[in-house]
Amino acid sequence: MNLSFFDQFTSPYLLGIPLILLSVLFPTLLFPTPNNRWVTNRLSTLQLWLLNLITKQLMIPLNKKGHKWALILTSLMILLLTINLLGLLPYTFTPTTQLSMNMALAFPLWLATLLTGLRNQPTTSLGHLLPEGTPTPLIPALIMIETASLLIRPLALGVRLTANLTAGHLLIQLIST
Amino acid sequence: VLHTTRALHTAQQRLAPLPPLPEKGGEVRYGLIPEEFFQFLYPKTGVTGPYMLGTGLLLYFLSKEIYVINHETVAAACILSVIIYGIKKYGSDVAAFADKLNEEKVAKALSVKNEAIKDLETAIEQEKKEQWRVEGCKYLFDSKRNNVAMLLETNYRERLLTVYNEVKKRLDYQVAMQNLKRQKEQDHMIQWVERNVAQSITPQQQKESIAKCILDLKALSKTAQAAV
Repeated sequence: MNLSFFDQFTSPYLLGIPLILLSVLFPTLLFPTPNNRWVTNRLSTLQLWLLNLITKQLMIPLNKKGHKWALILTSLMILLLTINLLGLLPYTFTPTTQLSMNMALAFPLWLATLLTGLRNQPTTSLGHLLPEGTPTPLIPALIMIETASLLIRPLALGVRLTANLTAGHLLIQLIST
Repeated sequence: VLHTTRALHTAQQRLAPLPPLPEKGGEVRYGLIPEEFFQFLYPKTGVTGPYMLGTGLLLYFLSKEIYVINHETVAAACILSVIIYGIKKYGSDVAAFADKLNEEKVAKALSVKNEAIKDLETAIEQEKKEQWRVEGCKYLFDSKRNNVAMLLETNYRERLLTVYNEVKKRLDYQVAMQNLKRQKEQDHMIQWVERNVAQSITPQQQKESIAKCILDLKALSKTAQAAV
């Protein structure tokens, strides 16, 4: 088992069976399911406290309708946090270093925000393409630029996560030798 | 972590009341290996059994190069030491924090109940006081009744007095009238008698009376001289 620096980024296979699904779902096992007790044990209490804190921070600036996003955003945040933190341990595989997974997360969410905006408030969402206070001759050029940035956004999001995690893990490896 | 605390198919599944949480979690040695493992090996190998097993396994893996020492070993050692240091130092604080969160939740609910009880108790005391006040009202009404009776009595006496005074005034007037009338009659009679007497004195009689008076005076003067 001679490990090079990049072995930790290969998707795990065991006898030809891809284990990627297991490695994505494993962090969920670490969190106790919230049961219907009112006074829970310490782990559940701490988890509930953390979730409450994160949800409140996310949802306070939003009005009532924005609270629909609370579940998916909070669960996404907790999942990514756990996956990335667990990847710091030795001999672990971080699923988010795979570009495929990050693009799979980024594309649908970005598209969802775009389509929701276009559906509910089409004029406002199209109006976002033009920043306020631009001088009149620059308007056509600016609209092209904003559209391009909008369309590139999922690529940017996906690649950003991948690059950050890969660089971090690689750095740990380099420093530890 | 997993819901293995339910008795497996021995009784009807009951959702409430929930069984109470055990006081302490399962006993572990070195934070990883449950105590039951040591107890399991104790009859055959005694106290040092699990330790020998662990050491043997480790040396086997190392010597046969099933586990290769590479850079990740160093990383593992560093990370493990940091984690253990962190847990040892802050573990009790985190546990106390979790306990405090639970305590606050329970205390909030209990305070609602206690405040409700206190409010009801003060309401009961005030009600009792009001009942005592109502009992005292009887005396109040009695005294008021007495007061009113006295006022009526006084008023009656006053009016009686007024009546008496009025009647007396009328009668006094009648008496005074009669007295006046009699007086007047008397005076009139006296005057009439005097007038008549004065008229009836003729000059003849006047002379005779004067001469008689002079004789009397002379006689008196003689006797008076004699006394001196």
